Parts: sequence; structure tokens; C-alpha cells
Amino acid sequence: MPSALRADGITVKFGGVVAVNDVSLDVEQGKILGLIGPNGAGKTTLFNALTGFVTPQEGRIYLHGNEITRLPPYKRTRVGIGRTFQTERPFEELTLLENVLIAAFLKEPKRKKAEQLAMDVLEKVGLADRYDQPALDLNLARRRRLELAKALAVQPSVLFLDEMMAGLNPPALKEMIEFVRRLTDQNLTIVMVEHIMEAIIELSDHVIVMANGSVITEGLPRDVIEDPRVITAYLGED
Amino acid sequence: MKKHYVIFAGLVLMGIFYPRMFPGYLSVAITLLLYAGWATSWDILGGWAGQVSLGHASFVGLGAYFVAVGTSHHEIAPWWAVLMALFAASLVAYLWGRLTFKLKGPYFTLSTIAIAEIFRLVAINEGWLTGGATGVFIMTLPEPFGLDLFSRQVNYYLALAFAAITVLVVMLISRSKFGYQLRAVREDEDSAMASGINPTTVKLKAFMLSGALTALGGGIYAIFLSFIEPHIIFYLLLSVQIALTAIIGGRGTIWGPCIGALLVVGSGEIFRTTFAEANMLIYGLLIMVVVIFMPRGIVGEPARYLIRRVYAKRAQS
Repeated sequence: MPSALRADGITVKFGGVVAVNDVSLDVEQGKILGLIGPNGAGKTTLFNALTGFVTPQEGRIYLHGNEITRLPPYKRTRVGIGRTFQTERPFEELTLLENVLIAAFLKEPKRKKAEQLAMDVLEKVGLADRYDQPALDLNLARRRRLELAKALAVQPSVLFLDEMMAGLNPPALKEMIEFVRRLTDQNLTIVMVEHIMEAIIELSDHVIVMANGSVITEGLPRDVIEDPRVITAYLGED
Repeated sequence: MKKHYVIFAGLVLMGIFYPRMFPGYLSVAITLLLYAGWATSWDILGGWAGQVSLGHASFVGLGAYFVAVGTSHHEIAPWWAVLMALFAASLVAYLWGRLTFKLKGPYFTLSTIAIAEIFRLVAINEGWLTGGATGVFIMTLPEPFGLDLFSRQVNYYLALAFAAITVLVVMLISRSKFGYQLRAVREDEDSAMASGINPTTVKLKAFMLSGALTALGGGIYAIFLSFIEPHIIFYLLLSVQIALTAIIGGRGTIWGPCIGALLVVGSGEIFRTTFAEANMLIYGLLIMVVVIFMPRGIVGEPARYLIRRVYAKRAQS
């Protein structure tokens, strides 16, 4: 399978603090990369560097072989990167359909067609029956699904999920895991930052573990979580 | 949405017959319509795109000066002068936006005050261009189709057309791709970027449209006054009044700025005659009441309440 997303030697510094230190990764098309690590490990910063919200001082990023290191976030969206935000940000005054419509306009400038696309995406995430509700007062699980719908409506080839599972109750978590798995059937590539180990183990094809800005280990999910270095990183040394 | 167009048609129709019914109250109506149009134009940037400007008097001034200086110093017909003013205003808005859109929230607002002040100083000090501190008189105007542009009637219909155009533009925007991009940028720029929207471009377009429309009203204002002074037309107070009109009525709504104009101009007119100086007190009180009890404005607050009610009902069923 060809590489969908590749990053070489990404380094991000904030003043004197090295938030991400020389991280490289390569995700094949249709695969899921899990990004884990204790709080402050640099996952979110790496995530933001890959999606364009933070500019790395060093390193290069390629999407399907084309360099995107210097592209601003909105241009990365246009070439195929979709993302969700850790704290979902629905446009509260607008209906669910209008929320997704904003993203759908990217690929379908005509309102009729954009509405159709938005409706299809809402159908996919199971919110179609509420399409004309305003986005305020949605419960957490539905806000997550709306956030996911917004990211899917730009029809990305690589989808970045920022802690989509956090705080979900067990049935909602199960549903979300199932849903994300189905996305890869359509050849979507996924990069996910996640704390919920259940989701990481069930979904990831490959896991990268970060601590203090660097990759401490990577590999198959089962192998990685039993790695003593990972346990130390999470629990500290005794 | 259909109901908005029905309301619009009804109001325009009423507007057309207004001079026959109240021929003695044309000047108030002109002021009201101009403020409605300015506030609606302001709201494209301030309400829909969420960038509060306290510099819109500059665009009123640009429009007014192009018409006044154009007709009295260079013998340019007012309609050509207005057209030039629209281009000039768009260009100014573009450069202004490029310079200041890096600033967020209150910092952007402060920068608009500063830039507007530059325009005022130029108008006062560059007499060769603007007539200087004494201002400009419009002595003669051409008479297209035998219309006397100095007559109150004609001024009134110009102001009506201006207000109608701005509201129509906003109605069209509100359902368009551009309208949704504006709302996305206002709510959250990061989220908008994740949807592939370039916030700077969207804000620039909004500013250019807002500035050009405001200048159109400025040109009509100059004809209405037939004498313009830089102290008044480029003054911060005018910027503040335009912004307040939209804010009181309800930012980011179709009818908010018009309702705001009705309230601000209407109450100003009534209270000025009955309370004289206390008029400003009442004006201040009005602002306080709206800001405290209806932070989303007179139209915005009930709209939000209705949305919640309808939703709550559906959630129960």
C-alpha cells in the first residue's frame, strides 16, 4: 500500500521548550495510526503540526507524496486532511445540517448539492433525524458525532481524530469504535490521539508512544502496551 | 426565509407610500433609513463576520467626500462619484483589513478607531483635496430625468433604495455559502480552517462589501446635507452610533440593524424635542437596558429564545 501520510524528523519548539523532538512517522493508506502517551508528551502538538495549526521548526510532512509542511491549515483541508477538535466546537446557533453544510461547501459549492452531501454525512453518523435542530444542548456523544460529521464532510483522505473517545459511556464508546473501524473500509487513513486504551487496541494498525516530546517506542498495539518503557512512562519509576 | 422576503416587500411598499402619508416628516425618515442602511452594512462585518469596527464613519466620509468634492470641485456627476467611492471604499477596506485582521477582538476594534482618526485628520488638513476644516458645499447638482436631487422627496427615495439594497444583500448572503463562511469565522476561526475556509479572505470580503455599501450611504448623505464638515462626518461618534444601532437591534440578524435604527433614531427624535438635553440620558439608558437584559440585541435575544423553546418542545415529545 502506498504511503498516505509521512513525516520526517518533526521538531516543534515553544521558546526554549522542545514539545516535539525529531518525530517521524509513515501511515499507509487505509490504516489507522494510534498516538498515545502521558499528558504533556507532545501528542497534541505533533497532531497540530501535522494538521497545520502549529509550524514545526524542523522536518517535513508529505501527504500522498506531496510536501505540505508549509501549507496553512485551510489549504491542508483542501488537499485532503480532515480533523476533529478535542473540545468539540459546533456552531451552536446553527442547525446540525448547517453545521455540516459549512464543511460540505468545500467540495460542493452549490447549496443544493452541498445540502445533499451534508445530509448523507449526517446519515452516516446517525444524526440525520435531528438535522434541523440547533447544535446547542446536544449531549456529549452527539456532539462528538457532529464533530466527526464536520470532519467527514470535507471528504478527507486522511482523517485526524483528537481524543474522540474520551468521556463516552461504554455503549457510546463501542458505537464510536465500530464507526471508526467502518471508515477505514472506505480506504480512509486515520491518525488518532487517544487515551482510551480499549479504542487504541481495537482500532490501531500501528501505535506510536510518545513521552517528553520523543517517540519512546512503536509497533503493534498489543506489543506496545506491554513494553516496560511504556508502563514506566505512564506510571513513573518506582 | 420566504417570510423575510414577504416582510421586505411589505416594508418597501410602505416606504414607497410614506412620503404621501407623512410629507412633513421626511427628514427624520431619511436619517432613519440612512442609519438602517449603515447599520446593516456595518453588520456584515461586525455581526456576520464578528469583527467589531468603530471606524465606519471613514466609509461614510469617503462616500460623502467623493460626491461633494467630485460635484463641486471637479464637475463629476454624483452617480459617477458614488461609483468611484464604491471602488475607493473597497480598496481602502482591503488595505485596512490586510493591515489589521491579524489583531483579534478588542485589539481589532481599537485599531479601527486609530485608522479612522487618520482619515479625519487628512480630511481636515489636506485642504487642496478636501476643502479642509471648513468643509465642502454642494451648490449645484445635475438633474437626471428632470429630478431635483436637492428635493427632500428625491433624497428620501435615494435613502429608501440604499436601505433596501443593504437589507437585500444581507438576505441573499444569509443563505449563501459566503454567509455560512462568515458565521463559521465568527464562531471559531480554527474550526473554520478545519472546514477549508481561509478566515482572512472571508473577513476581507466582508469588510470590502461592508465598506462599499457604507460609502454608498455616505454619498446619499452628502446630497441630503448638501454641506459636509470633516469634524462631523469622519468623527468617532458617527462610527459609534452606526455600531450601536446594529448592536442594539441585534448583531448578525437580518432585521436587527433596522429595528435598531428605528429605536435609536426614533427615540432620539422624540426625546430631543420633549426632553432637550436629557435626550442623551435616555439614549444612555436605552443602551444600558439592551446590554444588560438583551445582550444579543432586540431581535437576537427573542430569536435565540424561540429556537430553544421549539427545540425543548421537540425534545419532550
